Amino acid sequence: MNLREGEGTPTTGTVTALIVEELVKDYRTRKGPVRALAGVSFRVEEGEIVGLLGANGAGKTTAIKILCGLLRPTSGRATVLGLSPSRPEVARRVAALLEGSRNVYWRLSVEENLRFFAGLQGVPPREARRRSADLVARFGLGDKRRTTANLLSQGMKQKLALACALVKGTPLLLLDEPTLGLDVETSHELRGMIRELAVSEGKTVLLSSHDMGVVEDTCRRVVILSRGRVVADDLVPNLLALFQTRAYRVSLRDGLPAEARARLATRLPTLRLLEAERALEVELSPDQDVYALMDALREAGVAVEGVSRAEPDLEDVFLRIVRGER
Amino acid sequence: MTYLWTFRAVLVRFLIELKRYPLNTLSSLATLYIVFLILFTGARYAQGLGVNLFGEGLEGLVVGYLVWTFAIIAYSDLSWELMREAQQGTLEQLYMCPLGFRFVSASWIVASFLVSLAWVAALLGLMMVTTGQLLLLPLGSLVPLLLLTVAPVYGIGFMMAGLALVYKRIQAFFQILQFVFVALVAFPADTLWGKALPLSLGTRLLGRVMVDGDTLATLPRTDVLVLVATAVFYLVLGIGVFRLFEGVAKDRGLLAHY
Ligand SMILES: Nc1ncnc2c1ncn2[C@@H]1O[C@H](COP(=O)(O)OP(=O)(O)O)[C@@H](O)[C@H]1O
Ligand SMILES: [Mg+2]
Repeated sequence: MNLREGEGTPTTGTVTALIVEELVKDYRTRKGPVRALAGVSFRVEEGEIVGLLGANGAGKTTAIKILCGLLRPTSGRATVLGLSPSRPEVARRVAALLEGSRNVYWRLSVEENLRFFAGLQGVPPREARRRSADLVARFGLGDKRRTTANLLSQGMKQKLALACALVKGTPLLLLDEPTLGLDVETSHELRGMIRELAVSEGKTVLLSSHDMGVVEDTCRRVVILSRGRVVADDLVPNLLALFQTRAYRVSLRDGLPAEARARLATRLPTLRLLEAERALEVELSPDQDVYALMDALREAGVAVEGVSRAEPDLEDVFLRIVRGER
Repeated sequence: MTYLWTFRAVLVRFLIELKRYPLNTLSSLATLYIVFLILFTGARYAQGLGVNLFGEGLEGLVVGYLVWTFAIIAYSDLSWELMREAQQGTLEQLYMCPLGFRFVSASWIVASFLVSLAWVAALLGLMMVTTGQLLLLPLGSLVPLLLLTVAPVYGIGFMMAGLALVYKRIQAFFQILQFVFVALVAFPADTLWGKALPLSLGTRLLGRVMVDGDTLATLPRTDVLVLVATAVFYLVLGIGVFRLFEGVAKDRGLLAHY
């Protein structure tokens, strides 16, 4: 990998899909500069689906727009398949779904939008028609083929926008909050499609979201942004494992009498009661193991119904990381 | 071929939007025609009183009005379109075209020019029928002359669109320019500086072709050269200014309405 970035012709398989290095972006505003990115670095290899997770204002959109060449970074650099995003030909390899539903022409029908964006990409008309028919079918937009985009529901607009990014047939996709503002069902449907796409067509995807569920459902690796900095960059299972190892959940048959609770609390200081005292959760300290937990429960005279690992979800992990617990 | 397909996509979209909103198009055409009728009646009345409002008579009025119409269609098409795209968020998608945004906007201008030609031809037909003034229409000379005459207007359109990207509030200023165009069309282009203004010289030359029977070959060489030079100058200037503001927009994140 000693291809110097920003130079040379990209050849499939040898160039990292996306590289972001020490990216800094200051916006000029009336109240002075706002630092949206404060030295962000990450990479996405070909064929990966990577989530860019962060609260509102963390800098996700800024990073994605820099990768699209729509925004100039203050310093640092970004390359897309070895090329600077400011080069128009980068667009031959990347399509983006930008935040908000306004990626398509509201006065054009579903089909007309798809054909327009294919044509814009230089796809010949016949091939454009074929791809657009294919996507219309795949996204279940068949009855709406001739409907203008402004009359579509929010979910359908978003599907159309995603389809318009796909119709270009690029190997790389940048999706900024693709499920924002969708109802739960549509959001799940779209997640499924993104996952399937990446697998069946071998696309490289960078997907941003403030919703952990979306990232957990679609991505194998996640880069967590907080206030313009990368605070974590790891495979989703690894991140979950970080917090998984020592938390246990115990369900109780008869609840927890005050006396037993006091006794337990001295041995298990992290004890938390859940579900109206029908369960408790505890995080073991490094010198304790499950046996220590069981001993403590027996000595306190607590009737145990079951013990399981408390499964942290990405949301817990996210909150803890952002709070700086790791 | 990629170039052809991209151009085709832009042209098709242009035509679809026209077709989808026929009332818009028809009503602006009707407005233009009515304004012309009022002007024409006024001019004829003045002529009856012995006052010659338009140096070259009523034909001059027809030609001048024609150029003005062409100019405002060209101007408003381009600048409004760019602003609308910025507001809708589709401008960013256009920027991600593999051939570059410049190719997209060039395609757009060609599409808009072709369509304006059709409008202006329709309007011209109406005007000739109404006024009984038959004008000469040697297309081989007319179309290039019209293109050269209106090129500076596209340049101005780019400039305004660039300004509007960064200063969202200047839209009110847009209409005012249409009146400036009236003055430019009517301006007697007899000094070199007068000839360097947008629209003035072109209008004169078109008048000579349509009224006096000149062709591109019989027009004064220097005038044609000056026309070409100004066309290139304003277009390049306009695109340069646009790119300047585009750079500012890329720094401040203004390509989409923030
Ligand atoms: N065009 C802009 N001008 C000024 N500030 C901006 C602009 N765009 C974003 N910001 C600010 O930059 C920060 C990061 O924004 P953004 O990248 O949109 O975050 P995210 O997409 O993660 O919500 C926020 O504080 C936001 O207010
Ligand atoms: Mg965002």
